[in-house]
Amino acid sequence: MGASSAEIRTPARTETATARPRARARWRRLLPWAAGVLVLLACFGLQTQLYTGQERTVTTIFMFVALAQAWNIIGGFAGYASFGQVVFFGIGGYSTAVVMYHLQLNFWLALVLSGLLAAAFGALIGLPLLRLKGHYFAIATLGVAEGMREVVNNVPGLTGGGAGISIPTVGPRASTPYLGNDGFYILFLLLAALAVLVGGLVSRSKFGLALRAINQDEDAAGSMGVNTTRVKVAAFTLSGFLVGLVGASYAFQQVTIFPERLFDVDITVLMVMMVVIGGSGTVLGPLLGAVGLQYVSEYLRQHYTDLHTFILGAIIIAAVVLVPQGVVTYAREATRTRDFSLLGNVRRYRL
Amino acid sequence: MTALAQATLYGLLQGGLLALVAVGFSLVWGVMNIINVAQGAFVILGAYVAWELNAALGLDPFLGMFGAAAVLFVLGYVVQRGLINLIVNAPIYLTLLLTFGLDLMLVQGMNIAFTADFRSIPTSYAGKSIALGDVRVPLGRLLAFGVAVAVTLLLVAMVNRTRTGLSIMATGMDRGAARLMGIRARHVYALTFGLSAALAGMAGAMVGTVGTFNPAAAGGYTLLSFVVAVLGGLGNMYGALVGGLVIGLVEAWAGQYLSGTWVNAFAFLALIVVLVLRPSGLVGRAFYATRVEV
Amino acid sequence: MRLSTLLVITSACALALSGCGSKGAAQSDAGSDTLTLGAAVSLTGKLAREGGLTKEGYELCQSKVNAAGGVPVGGKKLKLDIQYQDDTSKPDTAAQLVEQFNDKDVKLILSSYGSANSEAQAAVVERNGQVMADSAGADNKIFEKGYRRTFAVLSPATEYLASIVKSIAELARPKPKTIAFVSADDGFSKTATEGGVAEAEKQGFTVLPPQYVPNGTSDVSSALTKLRGQRPDVILGSVHLVEGIAIVKQAHELGATPAGGFGESVAPPTPDFVKTLGSQAENVLGSSQWTETVKGQDKYFGTAQQYGKDIQATYNHRPEYHNAEATAACLALVLAAEKAGSTEPDKVRDALAGLDTESFFGRIKFDDTGKNVSKPMSVIQIQDGKAVTVWPTEAAESKFVWPGAKQ
Repeated sequence: MGASSAEIRTPARTETATARPRARARWRRLLPWAAGVLVLLACFGLQTQLYTGQERTVTTIFMFVALAQAWNIIGGFAGYASFGQVVFFGIGGYSTAVVMYHLQLNFWLALVLSGLLAAAFGALIGLPLLRLKGHYFAIATLGVAEGMREVVNNVPGLTGGGAGISIPTVGPRASTPYLGNDGFYILFLLLAALAVLVGGLVSRSKFGLALRAINQDEDAAGSMGVNTTRVKVAAFTLSGFLVGLVGASYAFQQVTIFPERLFDVDITVLMVMMVVIGGSGTVLGPLLGAVGLQYVSEYLRQHYTDLHTFILGAIIIAAVVLVPQGVVTYAREATRTRDFSLLGNVRRYRL
Repeated sequence: MTALAQATLYGLLQGGLLALVAVGFSLVWGVMNIINVAQGAFVILGAYVAWELNAALGLDPFLGMFGAAAVLFVLGYVVQRGLINLIVNAPIYLTLLLTFGLDLMLVQGMNIAFTADFRSIPTSYAGKSIALGDVRVPLGRLLAFGVAVAVTLLLVAMVNRTRTGLSIMATGMDRGAARLMGIRARHVYALTFGLSAALAGMAGAMVGTVGTFNPAAAGGYTLLSFVVAVLGGLGNMYGALVGGLVIGLVEAWAGQYLSGTWVNAFAFLALIVVLVLRPSGLVGRAFYATRVEV
Repeated sequence: MRLSTLLVITSACALALSGCGSKGAAQSDAGSDTLTLGAAVSLTGKLAREGGLTKEGYELCQSKVNAAGGVPVGGKKLKLDIQYQDDTSKPDTAAQLVEQFNDKDVKLILSSYGSANSEAQAAVVERNGQVMADSAGADNKIFEKGYRRTFAVLSPATEYLASIVKSIAELARPKPKTIAFVSADDGFSKTATEGGVAEAEKQGFTVLPPQYVPNGTSDVSSALTKLRGQRPDVILGSVHLVEGIAIVKQAHELGATPAGGFGESVAPPTPDFVKTLGSQAENVLGSSQWTETVKGQDKYFGTAQQYGKDIQATYNHRPEYHNAEATAACLALVLAAEKAGSTEPDKVRDALAGLDTESFFGRIKFDDTGKNVSKPMSVIQIQDGKAVTVWPTEAAESKFVWPGAKQ
């Protein structure tokens, strides 16, 4: 904007007048990336300061950051709230467990394979399911996740069924040494960084614009030339790929996995909660939401052993009522309009 | 052959009960576009209320269910008026999160108040069964089925014939126009949610009589409500009944011809197939997808 | 944009700063006059009921040991202190809590409830060099992984149904011919079924192919309808409480009750079973890790009957075997610390491995994989609404009643 006003006032000095604002604009665009790198380095440094128990907690936080960012791609940007995202988590986890158990494959190969399998599954079911809108899409994806869990439960020859399956980590059948708490910390940190990176790239690209257009008005987007089917399926597949990678790493970390944990609907709900409470459709929102919510639930569980679920429920209700657009979006709008009133939020959305 | 007949009968009876569990869920989603994740918790709470009435006053659960309905109605009304009405205009998944938080609080509250022991409401007659040839008809489940069908018919009649029912339908079709016509939307919404909770409470009393329950069972009933309501068609009362019967039958038949553990997988497969081929559900009409209808 | 980047930078600095200085000496406030045990139990979630009973067992152990003056370790008397955390019935949380105990330098662990949780905890215990007394994880598979630091006081899963089969073979007249198994599909139940099937075949019964039902279901009608056509003499259930109640209840509804009645692994000893089923529970067999007729006593809890009275007095309900196995696990750690004369995990581990003692729970002695194979399981039967021990005959309170005899 500075450039255009400079042009109107003194056309002869266009070169120098626009150079400074353009440089400043470029610097401002790069700032979030720089901040991201800074945070990444800080997390590496943090590792040296943590005990194993705390390390595992922070590792879980990284896991949810990655999951929340991945959900944000299909649910936040595109507005297709998928309630079965955990199906990719489970497919990723079980693919890794099955190939490492039956074929003694190396974990890193298994990781990539699992991501690809999850992505392929996403493309496969995305085509029929993404034709549905709103709540029907949500329930269809939920049905897929639950159904997949039952399928995994019922092929015990392959997956161990309800008895679970263990990745061999000691002895002759182990193909990759167990990464240990430190190793998993770094793995999940890298996955979280990857997810944030992908989220940031998607946000700033034409692809992201197309997703947002679909969110706001799909028919209008279609008539503007956006191939809505292709874009939606691509987003779903990408989201599935990321979630699959995380699921594979989780399986290796847990060593023994069970269907009801890997396809637990609670994981999807947590993903959604983190994105929504943080601020959907932003890159920072899911990040803060994941960190905040995990930290709060961990704190409550340690200090209020008997009541922690109850208090967590109350906090969620309060957060949803007072800040329905998410903390980050609220902060941005509030600082812009100088209107910090939470009750104003309530007044805006209530009946 | 007998096995198939027995399974079919059992599946139908079970399906009727499932329909009662899900009908309130379908009503709320259809009229107000609210996904009530705490539906299962309402059902279990109704079971506990009926159990307490039975333990304290010796009240038969088929009478106690009215008590459960009353308590749950008040709870539902207050929750809607005081909490959910505050975010009605926000994106749909926010109501889902709010009811999720409510679900956490209710389940944990019941855990603390009633402990996690498994309970069942004892009656002298619910365990008996009538023999029709080779097929046995369990009495308790038959009565629960009867209640479910009666309640559905009553609900349909209420929605069609009474002023309250009509105002619920109207608000569901077009809230703005309804308000312009003098309908107090906040009150009607709260009434609808209260009604839904009351139905769940009644279903809970039935569940408590024919089976066992404890707070952890809530999640399973919520999931079933999802499947049955969407299968039948949201907002459609007969749809909930049809959906429940279909799911009951699918599960019973799957259990007969495959290992018992495939039962749930088939229920979800049925759901997905119906959604992809006919999103408005088996009985719902496409154009009025989010409208209450009969 | 500026606000978000500001937020990001501040949080990055906060992260970096929070790192400085928080690590140093381990946060153990233990001082040298307490023996601290860590227990992650399921206080919420689907195992909340059994988790609560487990916690009661641990608490009673703590109060009794401290009432006796504490644990005599190396000449000093240490106060017993147990720290509790809630694992919400999830195995990965149970494992994470064991890691957190390790951070706080709590090396001696009491297990959570159930085989899934205990297995996850055992893996962590092995890696960290801690020691765990397993109170409720019976699945044999836990002990086939080469772990050396987990010791289970309870009899392994394969014994649950095998003991019922043995009691039927020994005491049921006329001896039944066909046995059918209904099993939940989780690991523990499947292992118990394997054990039961193996024992039944060894005893010469005809065994129908086992019917599997989803874990936690309250509807087993499909399995029962299939079995009704095959007419077994006895139905044995390798299930938990909900499925167990459903088997008896729905069998009566469907007319699928076999002549020889039922036997189930976990459900019949619990009071809810009789309360819910009423007269239908009559003559159902069950297997239990412990009943009040078990022989043996120890210096903290006396006899099994004394233990039962203590539970009744403290918690106002009859003792269940989940209480007893938890207390026994705590007792094992206490006796091991006393025997080792130290609270060092390695010394305690070696003392546990060599432990051989009588107790209110029965004999506690571990084989080299960590299982307690020297304590038999008891078989109970519901008679007049009460669970009475009927097998082994030396410990029986009452005669075995065989429903199939009334032909």
